[in-house]
Amino acid sequence: MLNRRKFLINAAVIAGGALAGAAKPVEDDTVERLTILHTNDVHSRLEPFPMDAGKNAGLGGVAARAGLIHSVREKEKNVLLLDAGDIFQGTPYFNLYKGEPEIKAMTKMGYDAATMGNHDFDGGMENFSTQLRNAGFPIVLCNYDFTGTPLEQKTVPYKIFKKGRLKIGVTGVGIKMEGLVPENLFGKTKYLDPVQHANATAEFLKRKQGCDMVICLSHLGFGYKEPDKMCDEILSKESEHIDLILGGHTHTFMDHPAVFKNRNGNDVIVNQVGWAGIMLGRLDFVFEKKKKKNLADAHTVVIGEKSSE
Amino acid sequence: MKKSNAVPVLLFIFIASCQPSYQSLSVQYKDYRITNSEEIDSSYIVFLEPYKDSVNSTMNIILGEAETTLQKKQPEGELGNFLADALLVMSRKKMGKAVDAAFLNYNGIRSSGLAQGNITVGKIFELMPFDNVINMQQLKGDVLQQFLDHTAALGGWPVSGLTMKIKDNRATDVQIQGQPIDHDKYYNIVNSDYITNGGDNCVMLKNIPVESTGYLVRDAFMEYIQQEQQGGKKINAAIENRVTYAE
Repeated sequence: MLNRRKFLINAAVIAGGALAGAAKPVEDDTVERLTILHTNDVHSRLEPFPMDAGKNAGLGGVAARAGLIHSVREKEKNVLLLDAGDIFQGTPYFNLYKGEPEIKAMTKMGYDAATMGNHDFDGGMENFSTQLRNAGFPIVLCNYDFTGTPLEQKTVPYKIFKKGRLKIGVTGVGIKMEGLVPENLFGKTKYLDPVQHANATAEFLKRKQGCDMVICLSHLGFGYKEPDKMCDEILSKESEHIDLILGGHTHTFMDHPAVFKNRNGNDVIVNQVGWAGIMLGRLDFVFEKKKKKNLADAHTVVIGEKSSE
Repeated sequence: MKKSNAVPVLLFIFIASCQPSYQSLSVQYKDYRITNSEEIDSSYIVFLEPYKDSVNSTMNIILGEAETTLQKKQPEGELGNFLADALLVMSRKKMGKAVDAAFLNYNGIRSSGLAQGNITVGKIFELMPFDNVINMQQLKGDVLQQFLDHTAALGGWPVSGLTMKIKDNRATDVQIQGQPIDHDKYYNIVNSDYITNGGDNCVMLKNIPVESTGYLVRDAFMEYIQQEQQGGKKINAAIENRVTYAE
């Protein structure tokens, strides 16, 4: 009884709001915003690079990154913080602590999701699984089959986030391990076709779950000299329902995000921010409520550089 | 009456929730450079402290000194030459064998350079974080040629004991210990176990027997630097046209 009553009250409030909205727009629901912050290939860089003659001296580190993330979250309502893999390996912290401080720091920063890079196998799958006990975020990955390994059921194929009025689906793809990751480290893990699995997951997220946007965290690499080697460019062009690819592996510093057309002629945005936490990427999306008409039109996204605040 | 009204309403909500209702129109991008000049969250300094103390106690030990900054470059860089020389010298010493040439996979060097000044244990760990061991293989000249072609296609790898040119993604003018490569002769070649196990797609090495003493590549670098330091020498290296592009 109480529930039904509550439902009726809510319905009345919504109806009232809609009527009031028609007369005087109290809250504009035609537009919604989302801020995405992202990193990749941080490679255990918990502290800034040492102050020596090296070109990265003084850059990076979790304390400064966390300060920046905090200041963005204070200003923006809908924020997603994501990482595209290779969290591990690169500083003595990893050699000594096997990824514990890396995962704990990411959890403290409030990462929403990450995918797995080839170097996240470096301490062994058992170790990655152990370290994930400290993770307050999921590892999203749809093209590794971990059946019969210590990582079985320790990752998820996707995660859906509700941000304001938006529903955002996040999936992830990993790189082919053979010839890259020592065989004793990846064991029985099966690498599955990233295009096929990312497409199927993205279609499910869009068509069945009604996600307004699908993000794919990718450790495939931005692109290679070999034109047929699987990469973010190929994935984006062969995709159908992915809107944004946040990449890694190739440690690519980009002047601006790349845009490719998918199979249906829609825009797919691809971004990557170098490595070692030298950069934090930020993408501010503006969404518009869909109109029933114009559905046949190819979807394009206007890209611009954010003016400094 | 009331019940029959509720059903279509709920059905409508169900359908609506399964269709995307918003579409992205525009995006503004910005890459923040993490310079540590702005607001930092000091709780992370506190969080790292216990880890940092023990990291520093081992990693701040000074092994030697770099006379100039050594850069990682392709087809050849000062850093690669220095590391490959260290690998060749130390593998000969540890194995007691006449090693002809030693290689490092370019992507396995994880620092962009070694800065002028003190070389600490930590810097060598960053440069070579992997626990890879030194493996030696007896390679027939034609197999070595396949391996060299592979490194040429990848842009040239650090090497000591051998010179070559890159032409159309292949290795030409190959000289080993000052002699032209003989495709029928056998050579003693050192790589990390990552490479001899077929890493970086070195499939041609995968099924060839290896000799190993379990000596870590990183330990070879560190002991070589200490050895030089004890001999009163600073670390330096030059570009010597070991690997060049053919005109």
